[in-house]
Amino acid sequence: MTRYIVRRFLSLIPTMFLIIVFAFAIEHLAPGGPFSSEKKLPPEILANVLAKYHLDESLPKQFLRYMGDMLRGDLGPSFRYKDFTVNQLIGQALPASMLLGGLALIVAVVLGLGVGVIAALKQNSWIDYATMSLAVIGISVPLFVIGPVIKLVLALQLKWLPTSGWIDGRNGWIVLIMPVITLSFPYFASIARLSRASVLEVLRADYIRTARAKGLTEATVVFKHVLKGALLPVISYLGPAFAGIITGTVVVETIFTIPGMGRFYIQAATNRDYTLIMGDVIVFSLILVVMNFVVDVVYGFLDPRISYK
Amino acid sequence: MKADKAERVDAQVNEFDQAMKPVSLWADAWRRLKKNKMAFAGLYIVTFYIVVSMLAPILPIYSYEDQVIAHTNLPPSLRPAGEVMIETRVAYMRKVLKAEARSSFNEKEEAEIAAMKADVAVNPDHKRVYVLGTDNLGRDMLSRTLYGGRISIMIGLVGTITATLVGILLGSIAGYAGGRVDNFIMRFVDILYGLPYMLIVIIMMAVFGKNILNLFVAIALVSWLTLARVVRGQVISLKNAEFVEAARSMGASPARIVFRHLTPNTLGVIVVFATLLVPDFIMSESFLSFLGLGVSAPLASWGSLVSEGANTMELYPWQLLVPAIAMTLFLFAMNFLGDGLRDALDPQSKNRL
Repeated sequence: MTRYIVRRFLSLIPTMFLIIVFAFAIEHLAPGGPFSSEKKLPPEILANVLAKYHLDESLPKQFLRYMGDMLRGDLGPSFRYKDFTVNQLIGQALPASMLLGGLALIVAVVLGLGVGVIAALKQNSWIDYATMSLAVIGISVPLFVIGPVIKLVLALQLKWLPTSGWIDGRNGWIVLIMPVITLSFPYFASIARLSRASVLEVLRADYIRTARAKGLTEATVVFKHVLKGALLPVISYLGPAFAGIITGTVVVETIFTIPGMGRFYIQAATNRDYTLIMGDVIVFSLILVVMNFVVDVVYGFLDPRISYK
Repeated sequence: MKADKAERVDAQVNEFDQAMKPVSLWADAWRRLKKNKMAFAGLYIVTFYIVVSMLAPILPIYSYEDQVIAHTNLPPSLRPAGEVMIETRVAYMRKVLKAEARSSFNEKEEAEIAAMKADVAVNPDHKRVYVLGTDNLGRDMLSRTLYGGRISIMIGLVGTITATLVGILLGSIAGYAGGRVDNFIMRFVDILYGLPYMLIVIIMMAVFGKNILNLFVAIALVSWLTLARVVRGQVISLKNAEFVEAARSMGASPARIVFRHLTPNTLGVIVVFATLLVPDFIMSESFLSFLGLGVSAPLASWGSLVSEGANTMELYPWQLLVPAIAMTLFLFAMNFLGDGLRDALDPQSKNRL
């Protein structure tokens, strides 16, 4: 098991490297650059600017320089936000995104699992039908439709919540409600459906019949036996859910004007802000691959059938 | 199950020696699908959308890019645009009246109303009817939603077909060849799976410019992964079956075995996955268009329409709701159809929900 964890952990390195190479290549190989859209600079000045940022060097050399700086924890200066380094920009934006994404994930998992299990235990009751209808909506309706519609209803029509913004002196935690609902809804829906299906399947298993036959209380059967079996598909779904929530923050932060990583991302990509976009990709991907690693390890602990060769 | 059916087809009698009509996998699936009301409703809706999108150029609707400046932001109505325009304008003036605590219109306002009425009487443009209202440039929402859907659905279908073909090709090669080839292809798939691909697609769209072809390539790049895995699994489970051995012993080439014998047998699963890929594609396309990285004006897709509508929803909610509802209905229908097909083609499916 330890060997598996170590090997799995080491495999993160080539994955990250590949992501960085890929993003670097797309950024640099495409025509144009961070200084090509501004008003025409005299060629001498442009050459100086390019030299200052080492953009006049060959691509492999630039890449090596970037990797060297990055490994020392320096993501370089932003090409667009004057006087800011990428480290500073990300340092400012990351907490908001982490809070939003983390809360959305917790809400999706806790509510989805809870509702899914209850729906399965009370199959064909009104709870079951209501849950499954809600789940179908969550799976079919994209984030960027849910967001504006929720905003239209809760903030603009009913005026219960502020339309946008982030936690500051004027607005408390209340601003989190709509973004978190929007971001967690699709994953809540998928998790509810998955856990309902897997609980239903586990309930038919022989070992549950045995547990009941030997006189365990229903609560013990559900919490000790059913849940453990039903958890596995949900856990393996968490990987895609992380990826979805990370890309989801891009949209949700745009809709609710939240000062997070996601909003930067689009701007940086369109501005060709090389260093900022690379920094964003690295941070996002790092979160994603580490989370996937954790999911794999947890899965291994929960499912003894998996062998580690 | 499948082999079982093949035997029965040969014999034309069941185990009690009674003559029976052979039932193909597809006829069987069709029968099951017909029983599933939701899936069938989904099928009707999807067919309707596809037919309407294909016929869009010959339908009696206005052009999706025609801007009538006088008709900006008109609410949905069955009456001629001129009437709606005057009504909206007068309602707005009444509000101003109330805000300024006056009791009647002043001369300027009276003159404006009179001018509008005179214009409506002579200008045939005002006879247009905007069933679903207009957008902030005076374009017909019905036509924009229709053409937007046309692009979204087209990208969904073409993308699915490409992804399916690539997935079948690589999946069946990996599954049939096994060994080093399999290892190579599947590690490649694994690595691509690990990539935060939407983030990379966003960079690609931003850097290479937004046009439909780039959009399409960017999304299609990774969408074949799941299908390749599924096809590979199916091929591996079938490649030692008797009918493959029979084909091999008769000297069939590997290519013939893969594409004439193995792939057709995995078609059921492929169809199910492909149906569920279509809404995926449409969501990805609309996601990018919503962020302003998809199709560009004057073309529209559902995503870009929702994005435009979200900007003006406070005053003109129909500009958000019309494309949002059109898109949601289609995605609903596709999902129900996909679930129904899965139940029909693979009744013992573990993924059954």
